[in-house]
Amino acid sequence: MFGISSFFGKHCDLITEDSSDPQIKELARLLKARSSSPFARSIHVRMVDAGSSNDVELEEGLTGSPQVDAERFGIHFVASPRHADVLIVSGPVTVNAKLSVKKTYEAMAHPKAVVAAGDGACTGGLFSGGYAIAGTGAVSEVIPVDVCVPGNPPSPYAIIIGILKAGEAIQQKSKTSR
Amino acid sequence: MDANIMQFEKKLRSSSTYKKFDVSDDGSVLRLEVSPSDMISLSKDCVSAGALYDSAFISLGKNSSFTTYYVFRVPELPRILVLVANGKEFHSITSAVPAAILDERKMQDLTGLKLQGIPDSRALIFHPEAGLPKSRPLNPGCGFESMQKDYPMVGTGAEGEFEIPVGPVHAGIIEPGHFRFQVVGEPILKLEARLFFLHRGLENIAEGKSYSEAVPLVEQIAGDETIANTVAYVQAVESFQGMKVPTRAKYIRTILMELERIYSHLADLGGMPTDVGFYLAASRFAILRESMMRLNMDLTGSRFLRGICTVGGLIRDLDDQKIQEVSSKLHSFLSNLDAIEVATLSSSTFIDRAYSTGTVPNALATELALVGPAARAAGVSCDVRIQFPYAAYDEVHVMEAIERDGDVLSRFLVKINEVKVSAAIVLELIEKLKPGPIMTTESAPKSDFLGFGWSEAPRGSCMFMVEGTSNGRIKRLAVRTASFKNWRAAEKAVLGNIVPDFPLVNKSFNLAYAGNDL
Repeated sequence: MFGISSFFGKHCDLITEDSSDPQIKELARLLKARSSSPFARSIHVRMVDAGSSNDVELEEGLTGSPQVDAERFGIHFVASPRHADVLIVSGPVTVNAKLSVKKTYEAMAHPKAVVAAGDGACTGGLFSGGYAIAGTGAVSEVIPVDVCVPGNPPSPYAIIIGILKAGEAIQQKSKTSR
Repeated sequence: MDANIMQFEKKLRSSSTYKKFDVSDDGSVLRLEVSPSDMISLSKDCVSAGALYDSAFISLGKNSSFTTYYVFRVPELPRILVLVANGKEFHSITSAVPAAILDERKMQDLTGLKLQGIPDSRALIFHPEAGLPKSRPLNPGCGFESMQKDYPMVGTGAEGEFEIPVGPVHAGIIEPGHFRFQVVGEPILKLEARLFFLHRGLENIAEGKSYSEAVPLVEQIAGDETIANTVAYVQAVESFQGMKVPTRAKYIRTILMELERIYSHLADLGGMPTDVGFYLAASRFAILRESMMRLNMDLTGSRFLRGICTVGGLIRDLDDQKIQEVSSKLHSFLSNLDAIEVATLSSSTFIDRAYSTGTVPNALATELALVGPAARAAGVSCDVRIQFPYAAYDEVHVMEAIERDGDVLSRFLVKINEVKVSAAIVLELIEKLKPGPIMTTESAPKSDFLGFGWSEAPRGSCMFMVEGTSNGRIKRLAVRTASFKNWRAAEKAVLGNIVPDFPLVNKSFNLAYAGNDL
């Protein structure tokens, strides 16, 4: 019926350590070294936007684009925190959104890990100190954070690397709790 | 003063009283000074004289008085009309201009004033149950004692009616917002959205910053409207700083604004097929969108086109060879877009769900003073690129994409046609682009330090008001984005539709939450 001709090269990015893109290089290394833990190979992710300018959400959405295709690394975005292993929060955390972040985190089953995505989520960024921001705006002040992914906003590959690292963090937690 | 303006003023003067009438130095903004008590009658007269309501702002004046600015667009002049009133007590103009309600609720929240006659006095930007700051952002002496603490959302009272609360955390990868549906069975009788979960106090944080320091903040208003908002902001500053932006900078700004419209619209165009389960087209649109993001990255070093535009011109120039590459990539993009368009529009899966769903009739679009694709899909002409040209839009051919039915399908068609027009504009400008300076060196500040700037963002026109101080700092930054106006349309458009169509209708507007909440 219709197809996309060779538009901007191949559809699906090749993940190899020979890539010229440093993020794809790092991803290739991470994938090679990842453990056989189920949390490192099949990671269910829930996102909460606590105050970003929708840029982080757009990039999270684009991790599902045919070029990047996060599902091939075992990463699935799920509808409910009850199904999720990893929570990814973008920020700065606003006063009005603080409760949603807390409740979503509490709804998740153990073991779990949190990724703070974007400059705002990591430190509060430009908004730190504003009257509508909870504390400095950093997610770590509201819930425990395992992985920080800086960026304005972080690219889809940076987000994927952050999620994979969070998967390894869960693996560590499940070892120590056993 | 040209004849049209004189005629317009005469028409107003015959029925209304006001203190002063003047035109800004660049001629684009008309200012009418009026006493607060005359605001209702004057705004009524302005509307009947052909002015379209745009936005309302408030700022702190001297001796604990306030100044309100009601902004109208007058397409036939074509000028921006601002009604300015100074005082301590104000009336709501919603009896004359119902579309002003949200702006006025925001004004009340920021200052603690009570506008007389306002039909809805619930808090808007603050959620009292989540916590409140020590004092009002625009009125340090005033607390929150007068604020209504609860937020009642009432149904229609129909027999057998029940509520469906949705959000603030949704199932998809989107921003937070609370929706309350009142339904009987499947059809939606009433929808009310409670937003402002992303209220970051952006306008307040900008205060005291220098004009160029605030640019990264303005870029954070809404990620996929970065350039449109930045251009509107810098134009507001440039207007009172008396800066003439070099031609090359204007051209590049215009190219970037259109590239932004392309990638932003592709998200909606892909989102609508996703929400009807037509993933074939959705993935094709996603390929195009990611490709456009990568094109942005190659061209500017930022997928969101950040860190380029600033007050007076551009921070850095773009590489000419890379600009030429954009041209060849766009040709390939357009042929792919045509193929997907044909496939989507010939699919009964898509048409069945999109046709006659989520209708905003022309009369409603006018009443709510909608902007952007939402209004154009209902046959309302409102493209500020054509009506109030800025940047390089007076030198290119902009065709307004207009549809008639105001349903999801119309919005789909408007957006896909706008993508094609945007690509044509980029191609035209790349041919015309010549080497030259990118930053102005001259400025001749005006004494009043007050400027208005606007641009046509992907979701519709936005309006910025910047008030400066004599030492080059921001005293007040006031922002009205397209999303802030169009959210009310999303509430109305779903009425009578079934609940499962809400995601589709919502996606067809694709309004920003962060851009609304600021």
